[in-house]
Amino acid sequence: MEIEDSPLLKEIGFHTTDELFDDIPMKVRKKELRIPRGISEFELIGLSRELASMNRSFRHNFLGNGIYDRIIPSSVDSIIGRSEFLTSYTPYQAEMSQGMLQSLFEFQSIISDLTGMDVTNSSMYDGFTALGEAARMAYRINEGTEILVPETMYRSKFNVLRSYLTGLNVRIETYRISPVDGSIDLDSLSNKLKSTTAAIIAEQPNSLGNIDGNVARISEIKGNALLITYYDPISLGVLKPPGEIGSDINVMEGQQLGLHRNLGGPLLGILSFRNEYARKSPGRIIGESNDTHGKRAFVMTLQTREQHIRRAKAMSNICTNQALFAVAATAYLGIIGPTGLRKVALKTMENSQKLIKSISGSGVLKRELKGLPFSDVLLKYNGAGNLQEKLAEKGIAGGISLDELAHNTYEELKGNVFLSVTEKTGSESIQALAKELEVME
Amino acid sequence: MTYHQATYDEPLLSEIHSDNRYKVPDADENLMALIPEEIRSAGAKLPEIAEYDVVRHFTRLSQMNYGVDLGIYPLGSCTMKFNPKFADRIASMEEFSETHPLIGDQNIQGSLKIMYDLQRYLSELSDMDAVSLQPLAGAQGEYTGILIIRKYLESIGELEKRKEIIIPDSAHGTNPASAAMAGFDVVEIPSSSDGTVDLEALKSAISDRTAAFMITNPNTLGLFEKRITEIAEIVHGSGALLYYDGANFNAIMGITSPGLMGFDVVHFNLHKTFATPHGGGGPGSGPVGVKKFLSEFLPVPVVEKADDGRYFLNYDLRNTIGKVAPYYGAFSTILRAWAYITYHGYDGLTENTVRAVLNTNYLVKRLQNDFKIPFGTLKKHELVLTTENTGKRALDMAKFLIDLGIHAPTVYFPLNVHEDMMIEPTETVSRRDLDVFADALISASKQDDESLKSHPVNLSVGRIDEVKAARQLKLHW
Repeated sequence: MEIEDSPLLKEIGFHTTDELFDDIPMKVRKKELRIPRGISEFELIGLSRELASMNRSFRHNFLGNGIYDRIIPSSVDSIIGRSEFLTSYTPYQAEMSQGMLQSLFEFQSIISDLTGMDVTNSSMYDGFTALGEAARMAYRINEGTEILVPETMYRSKFNVLRSYLTGLNVRIETYRISPVDGSIDLDSLSNKLKSTTAAIIAEQPNSLGNIDGNVARISEIKGNALLITYYDPISLGVLKPPGEIGSDINVMEGQQLGLHRNLGGPLLGILSFRNEYARKSPGRIIGESNDTHGKRAFVMTLQTREQHIRRAKAMSNICTNQALFAVAATAYLGIIGPTGLRKVALKTMENSQKLIKSISGSGVLKRELKGLPFSDVLLKYNGAGNLQEKLAEKGIAGGISLDELAHNTYEELKGNVFLSVTEKTGSESIQALAKELEVME
Repeated sequence: MTYHQATYDEPLLSEIHSDNRYKVPDADENLMALIPEEIRSAGAKLPEIAEYDVVRHFTRLSQMNYGVDLGIYPLGSCTMKFNPKFADRIASMEEFSETHPLIGDQNIQGSLKIMYDLQRYLSELSDMDAVSLQPLAGAQGEYTGILIIRKYLESIGELEKRKEIIIPDSAHGTNPASAAMAGFDVVEIPSSSDGTVDLEALKSAISDRTAAFMITNPNTLGLFEKRITEIAEIVHGSGALLYYDGANFNAIMGITSPGLMGFDVVHFNLHKTFATPHGGGGPGSGPVGVKKFLSEFLPVPVVEKADDGRYFLNYDLRNTIGKVAPYYGAFSTILRAWAYITYHGYDGLTENTVRAVLNTNYLVKRLQNDFKIPFGTLKKHELVLTTENTGKRALDMAKFLIDLGIHAPTVYFPLNVHEDMMIEPTETVSRRDLDVFADALISASKQDDESLKSHPVNLSVGRIDEVKAARQLKLHW
């Protein structure tokens, strides 16, 4: 039926749909809309397939550095595909939305258990922006004027952090990661630390890819500064949780917990903190309560921190977050369990070790950095030309250079590249890589 | 109307104990010895549950949740329209979903073309000159827009002076929050007696200290700001910029545009106007569009097309604010929005707008005899009514509605109307469902107080003690 013939129009006493827009002055009316005419679903799927085929897929994958190809149980996709979850809004009507509210409460709880932190909110956009919010939160807590970050922090992470500190009286200062040991240089960190430092950001594994024992020693020297840790959640299959090494605020990127890579978005930001900071924290938080009959029930709580109530004085502007992916992460952790997570982490380490061993025969790549890599293995590249491009010609994805990735790097590490593995990296991929390196110059 | 939501005494995940047999490749346990002892784990604290129990748990929970696939979801300013399934299908194509962001431009030409096309479509729809798809939600789009304004003012040497952002009292809470987060002082101005921007209040608030005026048009009362070009003149005349909150864009898409109205910066909500699923609170996506003089301030990278037809990520913008998100934005959401626009086309998008506005005005007609609907009868995408004349509380009426399986409208917002309900039906609701909704709301207003307070009874829980949740914080199982 043509819209001009709609009986609704008659019901409201209008003759044409133009009358619906009588309040819009003619001089601001749109005269044309240069977008193609609509097409059918059948045609749209065809067009999408054609565009999909313009993306190239690689047989062997060694890309990581924050976004990883990990095992995703089929059940995770099935659960977040449930349209009652997928097509719901933020649970404003709590009684009608207990499913999402309980799931988010479980997310908060399972992450708090995994990280050993007191409180976790119901999600942020991604790890980088959650780190930005964590830094703002530290400033609200102690009003310090510097944030200390590792010098080799990924540039994109650094830049997001810098954006989030706009307008605050806070400077970013860097401390050294030893280019020889591949771990935090605690002397450098101590020297940079002042009584006015708001927070120290420490990554685990660090930005050179290593599992870093020194992260556990920061709480002894941090003084008044807060310790903001940035953990790879998979590493918690083999590492002590941040809550046990004195972390005040912990941030994670949750993509590895059951999400596809999706060209790097949308992702899942995870933010946890000590109890006493809850009222200074950003984002949605779900609390347990009960209904009029005493039955357990869940609601959004501590809303007086948020934008819709506090407006300009809110802790943050965030409202939409990543609720659906918080459910995915909870389902992932539930399915994979403690034994599974440990195996995923160990298999990753096993593959890192295999990779180092298998490439050592070639003169092109060599592991010079000391220390224990997790997923991202930093290697000295002695060849000519861009490694990533050369490998791509052979159907191998990987070989990102540290210079490209890091905010700042060291002379000793110039020209170093990353090859990343996960529990999914097959021996055939590692062999294929080794074979290509042997014939490469 | 008969309705009953599924009700389970569903335990928490931590209360379920069954045998976890999910298979993961075995790994060499000896590697644990390589980890420094002070950080070595004794084992992660996670529940042990069988996969089938996890699936049953979440399936049962999903049945205790309401989504737009179940019916009308008339939250004002949230634009909860039907989320087309073709978009889900396209987003799950592996060539799109299994792509690493650092794979290199030459290997993602299909994805880049989609992003490039969406940038163009959003520019065309808004009459802006350049678009960044990077911001991850509406609020982040606002923040990005304000950072752009900030950097622009800095570049012309006016940032020291222009420290204020003016916002009407009817604005979404994210507007003042985003402005404050970017380091500006927020100046709130009251609305006029007709519910729109009070030009006199604006004139007296605006000065050479003003950085920007942030508004949405139509506003949160569903009213189109008729004097928008005059507003733009006042704002620009004082050297400030005009910011468009795109939360209400569904009311005007294809009919008018922020660019034609004189706005300098706009954000879009792909999860509202472009029907991407909201996922119970995200993921969203909040692209930002700007006029040409601001394009060099956009976050990087933006997608561009080279002379030879290849698409590439351009990081080289002279005055970029930098980055607000890790990579290129919420790609799978961007992809869904592209699919929505491609499917509907210029013809369908405009017709959707007309239908959305028609549905709202039909609801006005159905409800105006029983409720006071302030500020005139011609609305755009949403209407705001007050329940004050019925003597009932908006909250109680909302609980009556949800008990019938109808999602309630937004309540107690905007702040400039008391006991209000903000109702946005969208274009994807049949006349029958509009009538069911209107009848239910009218019926709610005629219940006696006692019975109204007893709702809900047909949902998985009764009314929840929110005060207890806030006073005795329990945020962990």
